[in-house]
Amino acid sequence: MRKYALLLWAIATVSAQVSFTGNTETRIGESSNGYYYNETLINTNLQYGAFTNWIQLEYSDPPELGRRINGVRKLRLEYENGPVTLKLGDLYEIWGRGLVLNSVDDQPIDRDTGIRGLSLRYMTESFTGQFITGRADISQSSIYALDYDTRTHNYHLPYNLYGLTMNKLVGDHDLGVSFLQSLEQHPITFPVDTLDIKNQLSSISYSVTQAAFDFYAEYIMNQSFRFIENGWGRHRDGRGLYSNLNFYFNLFSLNLEYINYRFGKLDPIARWNVVDNYGYYQPYQNPPVAMHIHENVLMNRISHQTDFNNEVGFKAEFMGSLANNIEFLAIYAQSNRTHTWVMNDDYTWRQQEPLSYFPSFDPTAMPFKDFYGELIFYLLQNSLYLKIGYADSEDIVDLLQNTMTDTSQTLTYSIASARTFPLNLSYALGNGWSVDAKLELQWLQKGYWWYEKQNDQVMADSMMSIFLDDEGKRVDNEKNSFISLSIGKSPKWSVTFTTDQTSIKEAFSSTEPIVNPLEDMLGIDHEKNWVNIEFVYHLTPSMRLSLMYGSLKGGLLCKNGVCRIIEPFDDGFKLGLIAVF
Amino acid sequence: MQLFKRFVLITTIFTAVHADEQRDIILPNLSVKLLDGKQVRLSALLEEGPLLVDFWATWCAPCKKEMIFLEEFHQKYNEYGFRVLAISTDSPKSMSKVKSYIRAKKHTFMVGLDPNQEIAKKMNALLMPTTLILSKDRKVSWYHQGFIPGDEKEIEAQIRAVLELGQEKAGE
Repeated sequence: MRKYALLLWAIATVSAQVSFTGNTETRIGESSNGYYYNETLINTNLQYGAFTNWIQLEYSDPPELGRRINGVRKLRLEYENGPVTLKLGDLYEIWGRGLVLNSVDDQPIDRDTGIRGLSLRYMTESFTGQFITGRADISQSSIYALDYDTRTHNYHLPYNLYGLTMNKLVGDHDLGVSFLQSLEQHPITFPVDTLDIKNQLSSISYSVTQAAFDFYAEYIMNQSFRFIENGWGRHRDGRGLYSNLNFYFNLFSLNLEYINYRFGKLDPIARWNVVDNYGYYQPYQNPPVAMHIHENVLMNRISHQTDFNNEVGFKAEFMGSLANNIEFLAIYAQSNRTHTWVMNDDYTWRQQEPLSYFPSFDPTAMPFKDFYGELIFYLLQNSLYLKIGYADSEDIVDLLQNTMTDTSQTLTYSIASARTFPLNLSYALGNGWSVDAKLELQWLQKGYWWYEKQNDQVMADSMMSIFLDDEGKRVDNEKNSFISLSIGKSPKWSVTFTTDQTSIKEAFSSTEPIVNPLEDMLGIDHEKNWVNIEFVYHLTPSMRLSLMYGSLKGGLLCKNGVCRIIEPFDDGFKLGLIAVF
Repeated sequence: MQLFKRFVLITTIFTAVHADEQRDIILPNLSVKLLDGKQVRLSALLEEGPLLVDFWATWCAPCKKEMIFLEEFHQKYNEYGFRVLAISTDSPKSMSKVKSYIRAKKHTFMVGLDPNQEIAKKMNALLMPTTLILSKDRKVSWYHQGFIPGDEKEIEAQIRAVLELGQEKAGE
């Protein structure tokens, strides 16, 4: 394959008709806690007449996340002639809002759900049709599969799939239908086996666009089959609904989003086990979520993980401008599972009555709620930017016990709630000089809620925090702060000093912290602080060099509603070079 | 394998050395879906004059800071055929608020949608925001990654350069 890629590259380069552009991205990092990576990605885009070619080469030893690759990572050839577009190679496509298909390559979390195959699209002003066929090799990390590792995925799912989507525009109304079938080789661990699974996804969508409002709705049905002996047997049925209604009036808008995903009803223990549960939500789907994806670091770190198999929720967002120089945003989001759950006498889970089509606060349905508000000011002829925000969230992460008799109930669940105040101030000093300050303060509660009732009398209704202070005493809150101070000289360089601080040493952390000389110099507690400094320099307008030294706190990193745990990076350097050619 | 490593190294050095010679880069004649649902090609957008293409997202604060100045330039140099195309890279998870944001800010420039970042990849937009200025013949006359206050002066200087207006005098 490499030979063909190089040949194609050489032929294309010498051709006079070729438009050629590309970029390289090199990332090197090494820390004192043994985190080392060295990776280079080269993207080339060529156009010759009606043909376009994209090649992505990777040399990694190892990459920051994922398995090392030396050679062609991605390759695609496109041919476009009038309304027809033919693509051959690595495909990343979104159908509608992604309920059936939304293949992504999120490198920061090493999530690649691309399809290697063929796509044929016919598009006019009022009609779009696309046929797709190919193979998706999707890797993910799961503690339910062998060899779990935070840097490389340990669970692999191959899919052979084909599908068709069509959209017809009539005036302001757009009607769409999609169908996608995948044949999956699904490895399971109990017992160790590989199952043949067939998934069929069908959806219908409708949207309308008017001056005062937009509306979009998509309904999806999922049927899965398992191959048993000589034929396909029906395995599971699921369905999902997404809708979005936006109202616009003057400088204000109200955006409402609603999700109701019922691809599977897995009990509280099994719901994240993608290994032994199959035929539900598929990883090449990537539908919208009913939550705000926070920009600030501390809220992103405790992001709610949507259960795409089973979640009902809504998000209401009110935004606008109060004047030319003041913006506001207020968001409320709430979601939970579609059923409440209770334990049998043998401590296995069973679902109780289904809830209504709107979320509730019943803790046995694992609710999540989040409020976020912000005000942005552009002052002094746009030279001063000030953003003030407030976030308040509560998430019942796991349901641990819910046993009930006629006269008693014992309920235990884990909960995370936080109040966060992000602030961002930047000021242009003149002559290209500017300063920027980001400050985030967070009060985080994490623990186990215990509720016990006997004979109509509440015996316990309180939370046990997981946070312990330096003396080992339990405390209610962890206080986190993230401060970032930058000075820059446009258009050449900027220097950023960042400190990430927490008040509590992680209760179950056993690793000894590594001393960072920056932290030493500042005389701060190494176990609760992560300090780093980054220098960014534009060597040319199209070449950007970044050099970071220090420590970075690990934790949850979320992209597009999907999260991954990232290891801490203690006392090391990171070098990045991006060049466009 | 050694050969491949050398190829990567040579290519990297080659690209780094030639990175500032991108005035000769001609972009493919890409098709962009606009916020009103229409598909339009770069060549059609460039018929009247140079184009500034800005890749942004609703979650990107520096992008929003930059867009205030882009709106100013879009209006100021419109009489010379210059236009701004701001391409949103919001995925389906946040694309519902693109129109709301543009309306709230009363931005009058064109807005494109690129939810799977296909156009961004073809235009080498690796970071948000990425700003490109294209001359009428689809040549990239200027490219910049990121935005820090003060960059707007350089952006305007590059717009004036592509419009062959000469540098603006203080108070003009």
